[in-house]
Amino acid sequence: MSSSIDSDQDFIAAAMPAFISEAGEQIEAIEMLLLELEEQPNNRELLDSLFRCAHTVKGSAGIFGLNRVVEFTHHVETLLDKMRDGHIALTPDISSLLLKCNDQIKFLVDTASDEGADTAELKEQRADLVTQLQTLTEGATSTSDGSSASAQQTFASADVAPQDAALRTWSISARFGSDTFRNGMDPLSIARYLGTLGHVISMRCGSDTVPTLLNLDPESCYISFFMDLATVKGREDIEGAFSFAADDCELAVVAPETPGQKLARAIDAMPETPRLGEMLVQVGAVTQDKLDQVLSSQQKTAGMPHVAQTKIGDLLETQAGVPPEAVAAALGKQQKIRDNAPSEDRYIRVQADRLDAVINLLGELVIAGAGATMLAREARNTSLTEANLHMNSLIEEIRNGTLGLRMVPVGETFNRFRRVVRDTASSLGKEVNFEIVGGDAELDKSMVEKIADPLMHLVRNSLDHGLETPQERTASGKPAAGKLTLSAKHETGAILIRIEDDGRGINRDRVLQRAWNKGLVEQGVTPSDDAINMLIFEPGFSTAEQVTNLSGRGVGMDVVRRNIEALRGSLRLNSNPGKGLQVDIRLPLTLAIIDGFMVSVGKSKFVLPLESVVEVIEAADRDTKVDAAGRHCLELRGQVLPVVRLRSLYSVESTLPERVSVVVVSSTRGQYGIEVEVLMGQQQTVIKPLGRLFKTLRGISGSSILGSGEVALILDVGSLGELVTGQAIASASTH
Amino acid sequence: MSIVFELPQELNIYSALETRDALLAWVTAQTAQSKGALEISARNVAEIDGAGLQLLAALSNMDQAWHLIDISVPFAEACETMGFGSWIDARYLKSNTEVAA
Repeated sequence: MSSSIDSDQDFIAAAMPAFISEAGEQIEAIEMLLLELEEQPNNRELLDSLFRCAHTVKGSAGIFGLNRVVEFTHHVETLLDKMRDGHIALTPDISSLLLKCNDQIKFLVDTASDEGADTAELKEQRADLVTQLQTLTEGATSTSDGSSASAQQTFASADVAPQDAALRTWSISARFGSDTFRNGMDPLSIARYLGTLGHVISMRCGSDTVPTLLNLDPESCYISFFMDLATVKGREDIEGAFSFAADDCELAVVAPETPGQKLARAIDAMPETPRLGEMLVQVGAVTQDKLDQVLSSQQKTAGMPHVAQTKIGDLLETQAGVPPEAVAAALGKQQKIRDNAPSEDRYIRVQADRLDAVINLLGELVIAGAGATMLAREARNTSLTEANLHMNSLIEEIRNGTLGLRMVPVGETFNRFRRVVRDTASSLGKEVNFEIVGGDAELDKSMVEKIADPLMHLVRNSLDHGLETPQERTASGKPAAGKLTLSAKHETGAILIRIEDDGRGINRDRVLQRAWNKGLVEQGVTPSDDAINMLIFEPGFSTAEQVTNLSGRGVGMDVVRRNIEALRGSLRLNSNPGKGLQVDIRLPLTLAIIDGFMVSVGKSKFVLPLESVVEVIEAADRDTKVDAAGRHCLELRGQVLPVVRLRSLYSVESTLPERVSVVVVSSTRGQYGIEVEVLMGQQQTVIKPLGRLFKTLRGISGSSILGSGEVALILDVGSLGELVTGQAIASASTH
Repeated sequence: MSIVFELPQELNIYSALETRDALLAWVTAQTAQSKGALEISARNVAEIDGAGLQLLAALSNMDQAWHLIDISVPFAEACETMGFGSWIDARYLKSNTEVAA
């Protein structure tokens, strides 16, 4: 006995992470649905999905015995149910309340296994939310019981008969499980009880499934019933009649429908049937004769060149009087069959670790492949080289496919910001229209996770400092509601994420003044406009006169830049004072494998990200004097180009070759040159992290293993650029 | 064996097994004797539930024709509630008379 309890507990403990992750998804979905519902309060489907999500969370929490989650979610569910029945309409207040409740659910789920996290204060907060929920639901119940139709707030949906908002006809179908009688339930008494709720318009008992007396097990239940009930009561009351038999009964309570909707539903429920006419005949929307008539009239016009072809759907509507809803549903069904892509059920959940392991192995495979190619080439065996080439092209395909597995739409992260924008804007008293564009652009999962925080900061910053209050906006001739757009799109091997607002932009004079005061820029020196804009990302810089709890503490923007650069990304600001600000973040699509450009200095090999290479020029003089940091300058088409000599920077000792080259690269700091000795060409590069000892090495972001087994260092163009263009650096390596 | 089958006073889950056996035996005996419709009386039925009604539904699913010759008020009410109004003669239905009220 105790072992079975143990195994139950083991099972629960093992399944808990999956529950938390799935509940987290449901909770996110609830938030999204609530925000969408705010925009389309009459959308019944959204409301139904919302209810289902809450119900799922409650249900699965119940399995895990998380009573706090179940209890609390139950209240939310009750309110949602009232909303489904049309007793309560979604107001901004209710929406805010539900969002807060959702936060609570999230908290309760997250701390499911930690009772201690639930402090008295939190309990009080939760009790307060429950009271608010109950006030709403009880208020709605009393109006419906009092059947004062005018007091009812209703959803403009099919649930409400237009002539009489209170009395509605529900179609109830119940299929009872075989143990119904044994469990002490009786369909007859349920039917009897339903009769007391209103007027039974029709009642049919499904007894076809009852065996003959000879084969009947009289204690098993085989019957089902279908009832049309006209009542002022809501769905909850009707479903309540089945509450004791619920586990053992397939119940469907369907709100009243117009004939058109009834047909539409019948079509939806049909098995996949390809032809429009057939579908409509099958559900009785049109007779076969009428259909034939319409079809033949369509065929008559088919051969005529000057007569525009009328679609069969239109003909059925106009000539055969088929309700438009039915035609639309049938067309929708056809489309679905054509698409034949049920988006659900086609995913499998894979642990991120396993995927990482595969990608690591893939990296090894790329390296091993390069090694094999090299050996084949050395062996001068043509067929071996050919076989290797083929293998390598396959490896490349596998590489692309495997990296694709880690790609997730960036929109999932973007959607999280809807709530932040909504809450932040309302706390600041600002009006914002928030728009998401290109949410389906894909990005490496680990990248998405790491970019979320910097993005959040930038979005908040736009809301706080960029967008003006409605009064200020109206005064300057802008619409009262500000606009904030978050967009993503792919750009040659990178993703561009743009945060754009139509606020006040960057006040360059103020930024410059502050930079002078703080000593970030030498007094009197005026950098370029772009450089001034970028000053806001300097450590310790903050222009906000009033520090709010959202932003303006002077920490954050520099961290944002650091985080983005750590992902090998770059930041660009495009400010239009008075009109708005555009922040562009460019990120590589993946962190694992890049296309590199390999160079060498002496025996050391270095890899540059190919996308940063602008051009390669021959250095005129290999003996140009350099400073302590290995820097010198050369002239490139009339411009001064700062150059760093890798040989000096990393103290590489070897005989100097006759010729040296300068690779011109572009970074956020502008263009600069890297002086190298041998150019080795393009190479797929698997990025490996540097050991802890080398983490502090500046200008190097990682390492890579070459086919020959040698190690190449991957140059970090951004931080190397800082070294090259920076003021005074004593030594490149701090180690 | 009588010609009319008398349904018991308690036509419910508690007596379902027993009633099924009795009814089945009677139906088998009757059909061996004649080809006419079977006659069932429900005049004594005082207690009835879904399991009781299901017995008659099972009888209906056999090839043998049957009809009710006499019914009690609780039985009529149950048939009507459960959507088996067609079993009963119209004069017993609530909408026509007050018998079942």
